[in-house]
Amino acid sequence: MEKLLLGVDALSFLEGEGLRVLESVLAREEDEAAGAAEKMGFPVALKICSPDVIHKTETGGIRVLLKSEGEVRRAFAEIVKSFRANHPEKRVQGAIVQRMGRGFELIVGTRRDEQFGPVVMFGLGGIFAEAIRDVSFRLVPIESRDAREMIEELKSYSALKNPRSGTVDISSIEDFLLRVSNLMEKHGEIQEMDLNPVFVEGCDIEICDARIRTTPFHPVAR
Amino acid sequence: MHSKLKGLFRPESVAVIGASNSFDKLGYHVMKSLVEGKYKGRIFPVNPKAAEIWGIKCHPFLGAVAEPVDLAVIVVPAPFVPETLHECGEKGVKGVVLITAGFREIEDSKGEALQEEIGRIARLYDLPVIGPNTFGYVNLGFGVNASFTPEFSRMNPGGIALISQSGGYCHLCGFLGMEQRMGVSLLMSLGNRLNVGFPELIKYLVEEDEATRVITLYIEGLDNPRELLEAAGIARGKKHIIAYKSGKSEKGDSASRFHTGSLAGDYQIWKGALRQAGILEVGSAEQMIDAAKALDVCAPLTGPRIAVLSGQAGPGMIAADAVEKAGLKLARFSQKTQEIINRLLPPIAIRSNPVDMGPAWYDAKGSLDILRAAVEDQNTDGVIFIAMFASANVGLAKALAEYLKTAPPFKKPVAAVFTAPLCIWDKEIEQMDGANGISIVPSPERAGAVMGDLFRANLLGSVHA
Repeated sequence: MEKLLLGVDALSFLEGEGLRVLESVLAREEDEAAGAAEKMGFPVALKICSPDVIHKTETGGIRVLLKSEGEVRRAFAEIVKSFRANHPEKRVQGAIVQRMGRGFELIVGTRRDEQFGPVVMFGLGGIFAEAIRDVSFRLVPIESRDAREMIEELKSYSALKNPRSGTVDISSIEDFLLRVSNLMEKHGEIQEMDLNPVFVEGCDIEICDARIRTTPFHPVAR
Repeated sequence: MHSKLKGLFRPESVAVIGASNSFDKLGYHVMKSLVEGKYKGRIFPVNPKAAEIWGIKCHPFLGAVAEPVDLAVIVVPAPFVPETLHECGEKGVKGVVLITAGFREIEDSKGEALQEEIGRIARLYDLPVIGPNTFGYVNLGFGVNASFTPEFSRMNPGGIALISQSGGYCHLCGFLGMEQRMGVSLLMSLGNRLNVGFPELIKYLVEEDEATRVITLYIEGLDNPRELLEAAGIARGKKHIIAYKSGKSEKGDSASRFHTGSLAGDYQIWKGALRQAGILEVGSAEQMIDAAKALDVCAPLTGPRIAVLSGQAGPGMIAADAVEKAGLKLARFSQKTQEIINRLLPPIAIRSNPVDMGPAWYDAKGSLDILRAAVEDQNTDGVIFIAMFASANVGLAKALAEYLKTAPPFKKPVAAVFTAPLCIWDKEIEQMDGANGISIVPSPERAGAVMGDLFRANLLGSVHA
């Protein structure tokens, strides 16, 4: 049977593999959320946590830039309540309290393709990758030359290079893509993986959200 | 497989099984290709119903040929193919071109079964088979046309190999290439790829075929593209590979609930994988021809700075636009070059880049001096040279052709546009194409584009970037 790793489960797996993730805590109750936010420092984001939701934006289950304990409490109550009302059939575990990501949004993905075997994908985050299909692919394993070309061949590459987008260290993105390629070689059970969004600012690259589909079989990586 | 392919592509003797005297049989056209293509080895037509075919003694079956046979071209109907392959194996032929259709490509499942059967027979004798369902191959480097298209024997021999997943594309690209005087080493269609496909051929062409300097591929789709891409890795830094991929569906996995899955269209991955393997991707047969010709004969384009020299201002402007569209830039001449240009051209023309050489129409030597100065300028990486031949400037065509006969090859790539009315100066233009590191393209737009491709190919071809 295939398994879906979402939210904190996916993030802690990736963290265990040496990738940096935004600090995230699953809060089951409002008090827990408020305490976690206080400890993390404001602002924070709050995201609904349900094993039945893959794309959180589509369920309205996200609040960002929460600047105080009061805002966190209000947001927690609201998103859990509205989620229960709108999706009575779906389970709710609580909400994830997460440090706000900063910088440029990227999307990085992998997939085991029927013909090509494992592939890795790169694009600029938000909705642009999907809307104008501005993404690049390579076969796993990639070398640093491939990683650099994946970044440079995006139509939106100039946006990434524009100083008004903030300073983005391209070699940090290359390094990140290489790590994802390695991960795919190491873990034959991973069938599909979206790291979306990934925030990059300067040399800091942190995964904000992830979903991973695995199968218990360990097919030989082609 | 390797050494066997050498025997298949460089046969000392060819048997045509299913050779025919009737125009409506492919066996007739295969014989025509061999005979009119002036094949120097022995030709053995095989057909139980004829005594002589194309004036050559015919044998009733392959075993009746007393001499050794290197290559067997099979044109018999599909049901007779299995026994014919057994005969080939027993005769000890080095390879087979199986033109016959009616195998895996047909809707009837009998075709698939028949293909499996002949696959087993080929394995039994370790027999390389091109096809089935191929028009054959033409090896101009060796002088053998083992196809049913005799016209391909008229192609210029050169350094370009075309390996195609479609016979139709071979004819499209081959005939368009003939118009552009493309120099070909090997032209072939893979057909249903019984046991010879892209990976085997790339290895063969890189390691065994000295005539081939540029490998071009037409790809429709493959079950295991990684084999091709890995084979391309051995060509990197040795021979350029150009690919034209058709069937560009961008549709990803619609069942996937992942962004990556829905974006992972077949072509999206092909595009990245080709570049990863160091293969230059092109989007048309014309682009393939231009790029292959230039890579075959020109020096590498190691930088983006292009000089545009044109006998007429308009086409020069168009070429300048095309240079920028290709991601390259217009060179700024060194002082020395600019002085040479200023000395040779009066100030009535544009003398910076693009240079309007109009005033030098009647001064062939002046035009050549400017060309030489632009190539030798340390601020340029490549040159586009444009001249439109007509009655008023015909002297230039002849002088250029004459000059190039003795001049040393240019150390930087020169893409030339010599547009002229058909049939008048064809000989002069043919003489210049490929000579001294010059490659001719039909239009200023294509001159700019081919420079872009030369630049990309140079980056792709480097082992470390």
